Amino acid sequence: MSDDRLRSGHQPLDDVLGGGLPGNGISIIMGLPGTGKTIIAEQYTFHNARPDRPAVYFSTLSEPLGKIIRFGQTLDFFDAAAVGRSVFYEDLGQVAGRGGLAGVGDHVAAVLKDRRPGLVVIDSFKALRVLADSDAGFRQFLHQLAGRLSAFPAASLWVGEYESAEAATSPEFAVADAIVELAAIPLGQREHRFLHVRKLRGSGFLAGQHGYRLTAQGLRLFPRLADIPAAGGYPLGGQRITTGIAALDQMLGGGLWPGSATMIAGPSGSGKTIMGLHFIYGGAQRGEPGVIATLQENPTQLTRMLGGLGWPLTHPAVEVMYRSPVDIHIDEWVHDLLHAVEGAQASRVVIDSLMDLQMAAVDDTRFREFMYSLAQRFSRQGISLLITFETSDLFSTSRLTQFAVSHLADNTIVLNYHRDHRAMSRSLAVIKTRASNHHPAIRQFSIGPDGISLEDTAIPEDDVNHGPG
Amino acid sequence: MSQSDAPAAGERPVYSISAVARMLDIPVATLRTWEDRYGQVAPARNASGHRLYTRHQVEQLKFIRAQMSEGASVADAHRVLAERIETGEPLAGAAPQPGPRLLIQLAESDPYAAEFEEYFLKTEGFEVEVTLSESAAREAFTAVAPAVVIVEVLISGGTGLELCRLFREQDGTAIVVVSAVEAMDAAIEAGADAFLRKPIDPLQLVSTVRDLLRSSALMAGRSSR
Repeated sequence: MSDDRLRSGHQPLDDVLGGGLPGNGISIIMGLPGTGKTIIAEQYTFHNARPDRPAVYFSTLSEPLGKIIRFGQTLDFFDAAAVGRSVFYEDLGQVAGRGGLAGVGDHVAAVLKDRRPGLVVIDSFKALRVLADSDAGFRQFLHQLAGRLSAFPAASLWVGEYESAEAATSPEFAVADAIVELAAIPLGQREHRFLHVRKLRGSGFLAGQHGYRLTAQGLRLFPRLADIPAAGGYPLGGQRITTGIAALDQMLGGGLWPGSATMIAGPSGSGKTIMGLHFIYGGAQRGEPGVIATLQENPTQLTRMLGGLGWPLTHPAVEVMYRSPVDIHIDEWVHDLLHAVEGAQASRVVIDSLMDLQMAAVDDTRFREFMYSLAQRFSRQGISLLITFETSDLFSTSRLTQFAVSHLADNTIVLNYHRDHRAMSRSLAVIKTRASNHHPAIRQFSIGPDGISLEDTAIPEDDVNHGPG
Repeated sequence: MSQSDAPAAGERPVYSISAVARMLDIPVATLRTWEDRYGQVAPARNASGHRLYTRHQVEQLKFIRAQMSEGASVADAHRVLAERIETGEPLAGAAPQPGPRLLIQLAESDPYAAEFEEYFLKTEGFEVEVTLSESAAREAFTAVAPAVVIVEVLISGGTGLELCRLFREQDGTAIVVVSAVEAMDAAIEAGADAFLRKPIDPLQLVSTVRDLLRSSALMAGRSSR
């Protein structure tokens, strides 16, 4: 029933809600102070208010009306010309002071008759509870108010600083048709905000926690990436594509399958980023656009690195997306990445590095689910993904399995340091390929003016994976 | 509610063909013939094939009738209508008929809905008799002889359609069936003149009652002749 929904004007939010909040129902917006409840309520208010179906915004006993309006004016969508014409602010606190809860119910009914609104906001609804002399009294008030609101063709938003657990015990949650929770979860020195649809009658919705930011344009939501696994894995087909390094293509049995995910693991400085650049520029030279999503090298550092290899940062088939790992929100990051990939019509993507992204994730399970969904989505679209993964332990690859990499990557290439008698050198091994026969040797490689060059000789297994001394 | 995608109140199919025939004093057979011949005013059909007219369509038919009463042939009247629709020129609305205060009976199951319906009808100058049970509704119907009765399907646990059939047998009262569930087909089968889905838009309630009253007034005028 797409014609019976209250829309927010922000498509990702409406998508998460399966089209929107119930158009003739009661929706609770819950969350602790500072999570943006009033902002989202104002967003709905200004998006839906029309002179013939106005929005009425009731403040109650928690925040003075003047403060709500003053704050509202700092938001881009606040339209001063609409106030008094299609948006009406009223103070229910004064009504409550005079006539208690019964007075509140009667006043709301009178406003419905008089203004014939399409949207009624009560902020804060929770604050009304203190007016009841008993639980029974509050339930009676709720029953009456819900009855009146249901009999009238209007949506209503009940905003309240409810804690999560209250949803199970407070009677207002039983009469609500939809419950949307806003929460802030501490992550190191930062806070991550999440929106969570707890209930939505008569409609499907996108479950789980969706990251959001509060901006002057209102709440900006980044729907959780949760793709269902494609049946039968990624489609094998077409021609193999180059890694950008001919000798490595040979080791992989002819290159990578399009749509595959490849993990490049290795300690710091072992050449993972350069291998990623080979992958992108090797594709770009063949007319296959690529996106470098880096959290490691900022554009200046990347320009310097590319300059050494004779590649320009501003290549028409290369899009660089740099985000500082310090303040990223992975849901927002992936939203930006998908946007960049779509814009560039990219068929290759490098993510450098996985560890930086993981630091931005709230928990490991969530992060694995997120990476898996991202790899699945690219795979379905035939976009080949290369991910760098830093192993902190200089000579060990044991962390690879800890991280359940096999789940994520079709191919795994491990870079390592190799000790010979005089100096340290680099080595490379293909330890896993899906749907290919790979060459199992460990090959020495060097990084020169042309990037990575593989040596002809294989290194005996014993010489690798042992620390110096 | 975001009404941008929802059909406007005037575009929802509401009226049965017999209600439209009474409202406009045009025989049912004529309405069918015009529809077949000119395809200009083509009502939606419900699952059982009954025609359901929107308010706009009633306005269009009213316009055709007005053109014909000014001497236009039926074909010309349809042609003028087509031109008006194409140019977007409004069809001149019929002047509201001042008349005696008419009585509307509500046979509601929901006291809150009754409160709003009563208020909006009274604001428009109607007298309203509110009944909240099947037995009270039957008694009042005989006692006050309403011009229009609004019947909720779920009154007294779900006897609204029975009430509708009973009221239909006593000719002369227009019947609007209302319900939160989509019961348009069942309502028309039971003899309702119009069906409104709840929650009811105040404007739609009033305009539906007005339209049906015009048909009653026409009938009253005709029987007194």
